Amino acid sequence: MKLIKAIVRPNKVDEVKAALEKIQISGMTVTEVRGHGKQKGHTAIYRGQEYNVSLLPKMEIEVVVPDSMADDAIKAIIASARTGEIGDGRVFVIPVLESYKIRTGERES
Amino acid sequence: MSDLLKWKQHHMSHDLPLARDGAHHDARLARAARLEAARGELREASARGEGGRHAMRQYSHRMDALIQQLYADAGPLTQSVAVFALGGYGRRELCLHSDVDVLILFAGTIGRDDERFLHAFLNPLWDLGLTIGHHVREVAEGGGLESDNSEFLLALTDARPVVGDATLLDEFLDAANLPRTHARTLDALKGLIAERHAKFNDTLYQLEPDVKDSPGGLRDLFGAHTIAKLTDPALLANGGAGPRAMDDAEEFLLRVRSVLHLDTGRHHNVLSHELQERVAERLGYTGATPSQRVERLMGDYFRHARVIDRSLRFALKAAPAPIGENLVRGADGIRFVDAREASERPETWLGAFQAALDAACPVSDDALGTIGQNAGRFAAEAFFPSAGHRDALLRFLRLRPGLYARLSEMHECGLLGQMFPEFKAINCRVVRDFYHKYTVDEHTLLTIRNLERLLDHPPRDRERFARLLSELKASELLVLSLIYHDVGKWTDEDHTLESARMAHQMFDRLALSDEQRAEVDFLVREHIRMSLVAFRRDTEDPEIVRQFAQFIGVEERLKMLCLMTLADVEAVSRETLTPWKEELLWRLYVDTYNHLTLTYGDEVIDREQSQHSALLAQLPPDLSADEVSAFLEGLPRRYMQLFSHEAVYKHVRLARDLAPDAVQAWLDKVDSGWELTVLTHDRPFLFSNISGVLSSYGMDILRGFAFTKPNGLIVDLFHFTDDERFLELNAEGEAELLKTLGEVVLGQKEIAATLRGREQGAFRRKLPGFAPVVHCDNDSSRRYTIVEIVAEDALGLLYRVSRAMSDSGCDVDLVLIATEGRRAIDVFHLTRDGRKLTLEEQADVTTNLQRVLEGRS
Repeated sequence: MKLIKAIVRPNKVDEVKAALEKIQISGMTVTEVRGHGKQKGHTAIYRGQEYNVSLLPKMEIEVVVPDSMADDAIKAIIASARTGEIGDGRVFVIPVLESYKIRTGERES
Repeated sequence: MSDLLKWKQHHMSHDLPLARDGAHHDARLARAARLEAARGELREASARGEGGRHAMRQYSHRMDALIQQLYADAGPLTQSVAVFALGGYGRRELCLHSDVDVLILFAGTIGRDDERFLHAFLNPLWDLGLTIGHHVREVAEGGGLESDNSEFLLALTDARPVVGDATLLDEFLDAANLPRTHARTLDALKGLIAERHAKFNDTLYQLEPDVKDSPGGLRDLFGAHTIAKLTDPALLANGGAGPRAMDDAEEFLLRVRSVLHLDTGRHHNVLSHELQERVAERLGYTGATPSQRVERLMGDYFRHARVIDRSLRFALKAAPAPIGENLVRGADGIRFVDAREASERPETWLGAFQAALDAACPVSDDALGTIGQNAGRFAAEAFFPSAGHRDALLRFLRLRPGLYARLSEMHECGLLGQMFPEFKAINCRVVRDFYHKYTVDEHTLLTIRNLERLLDHPPRDRERFARLLSELKASELLVLSLIYHDVGKWTDEDHTLESARMAHQMFDRLALSDEQRAEVDFLVREHIRMSLVAFRRDTEDPEIVRQFAQFIGVEERLKMLCLMTLADVEAVSRETLTPWKEELLWRLYVDTYNHLTLTYGDEVIDREQSQHSALLAQLPPDLSADEVSAFLEGLPRRYMQLFSHEAVYKHVRLARDLAPDAVQAWLDKVDSGWELTVLTHDRPFLFSNISGVLSSYGMDILRGFAFTKPNGLIVDLFHFTDDERFLELNAEGEAELLKTLGEVVLGQKEIAATLRGREQGAFRRKLPGFAPVVHCDNDSSRRYTIVEIVAEDALGLLYRVSRAMSDSGCDVDLVLIATEGRRAIDVFHLTRDGRKLTLEEQADVTTNLQRVLEGRS
């Protein structure tokens, strides 16, 4: 199993979600996050005064998928979240050792 | 009034000739006999120790009959006249040697015939040896009642009709400002009580007490009753010693006083040592020795005096304070003095909530009950019968701490739904979805609470929104829009359109102006747009921001929609508005604000624009489409958003054949100040000269904008306040200001010297509260270098900064002027020889501006 963690633009969440559902991945966790990558924020000006916007609002989408589906999921996320501009986000893939259902205690393979 | 008083003092003397003929003599004897019989009756009762309430009522009744007879005998009346008993006589507690206080009230102006009536009526009373305290008034004098003498005001609280047209007193009081009169009466009473108590060293435990004036005496008892009468008739039933104990105390003191008057044969109220024995004897106190009897009498006296003292103290402490027409503030909040009267006057109900808002207290359960029981009887229009009432509603809706609580009270008692019938549609309305946690009506009210919380020490991360709120020119329109924003949720269709439709029903009822209607309609109709853009669109895309800014139009609307969005999202549930969403919202706000203020110069009017077409569609006959289009050419789109069609047509007419040295300028009085519009051709120092002229007359420029067309025609508008009331107080003021303006603009007159004195005064008075900010921006606009200035507002500021720009060789093409609290926020679009400024030129103008703003030049 793989944990796929994608940091995407806030307005891209619905599209990513739809793309994942299309390949039968429906369970996911979506979190509002703030951070920066290569963008490192930018300087904004309000009423003549500059202020540094270092942490940008992003959305983090987490899905756990079987190894066999990981590539498709990654492709779906990248395709749906991409604009081509700086700030499109990142996808991280992390191996999952074990997974349990809390309600039943059942271990998933 | 003073002449009348002199007349009274002169004519009402005992020395006036008396009637000599036999009939009059007989009548006088008959009256004397009648009075003596009445006094004999009271004397006998007093001697038996029974000269209390009943005996005094009887004597007062006999006095009424005597006065009625004298009134009838006083001769023909030329107008309505009535006699009213005042003070103790008004309470029917006339003692043997008490003054007989009366008010003689005339319906109209007192003339010669009325003077004769007064002689004929009052002289016989004096002849009878009575001490008459008479007040003569005309009904119209009720208008000045609040400034009448305080003892008369106090005596008036016990007024009752004796003879004549009793309704005259109602008319007299109707002419008065009763809340203010009551407040003054109450203040006077409190002052008199304190003064009187001081004479007795503030203790009721006097060995030789004055049963009338001592602490715990009859005056205190009447004082407690008067406080209750003026504020809350049920007051004494809720605290103090209680009504029964007070009645007993009153009966006891009246009996004692009767004996004192009887045994001294005069108006004597001191229960001295020698009189204590007589009183004890007449009141039937038992005991082996006189001192035992006196001891028991005085024991009772102090017991009763304590009862009165306790009740008076309670009344002073707990009495509701009069705070408006038929309104008092009590321990439980704002109450109606007369609930029955209030129940018939729905237009006064909002006053209770406004008073509660002002006093930071609730509306009492009693008052809410009265409103709740009666609200259903009245249609919405009954709450705002006049423009004054409608204005009062808008004033009430201005955002301030406590508004949510008051609106919630109005909702709970049913008033909100009666005032705004559309709101009833969402009463306890449940919308089933995954995110809303409250009924629609409560969600609506919570939006107002959320904004209210920004006013009072908001959390650090909300201060930026709080500042927007403090900058709003009309927060009442935002609140009104919030009240209506979800009323359309009664249906499952698109609620924003339905809410807007329902809001339109309210516009006529409240007689909102066109501008107000447009604002509320926009906010209600578009209340979810900003959240959609902020949370669902890529706001880093400049095109998204540009489109949104174009849709919004002007900064004030942006601020309102931003705050509405914040409040609306937060009212969905406790978890909905995350710091993350706040940040997105704020960024969209900033980007849009910058677009509106910095890049609008690049977006000029084009013929395809819908506003352009609408303007041409309604052309007056004297204007052609070509002429209007030519005039609009090169002007920023913002021009169309700021001026009405009529104003644009006027500009086109005035610009027609405008000579190179002509200045078209006019003043308009607007709600909160004045507006100066100027049409002329551009010339050096034009903008600074116009603003300088306004400052030289002491005008405070709050908002404004300046547009320059490519052909050099300028349209400037300044919104300013005239705090020194120059225009209001001088009939020729407007003409003088416009004449000076023309002369200064055309270089025929110098304004600098006139302005210098005022500026120096302003510098002395005002120390800067924060460092000024000057920011040059060469990127936001394709055509202009933009200079933003944020500085402490000061007289002549615009003149100085715009002059510094002109001194630096810059052309001031576009200007946006805003004042937010103490901060002036001005945005100038500059060019030099038709191009943007170079880096060196930017540095030069910035240095000049910094120097000017720091007062170094």
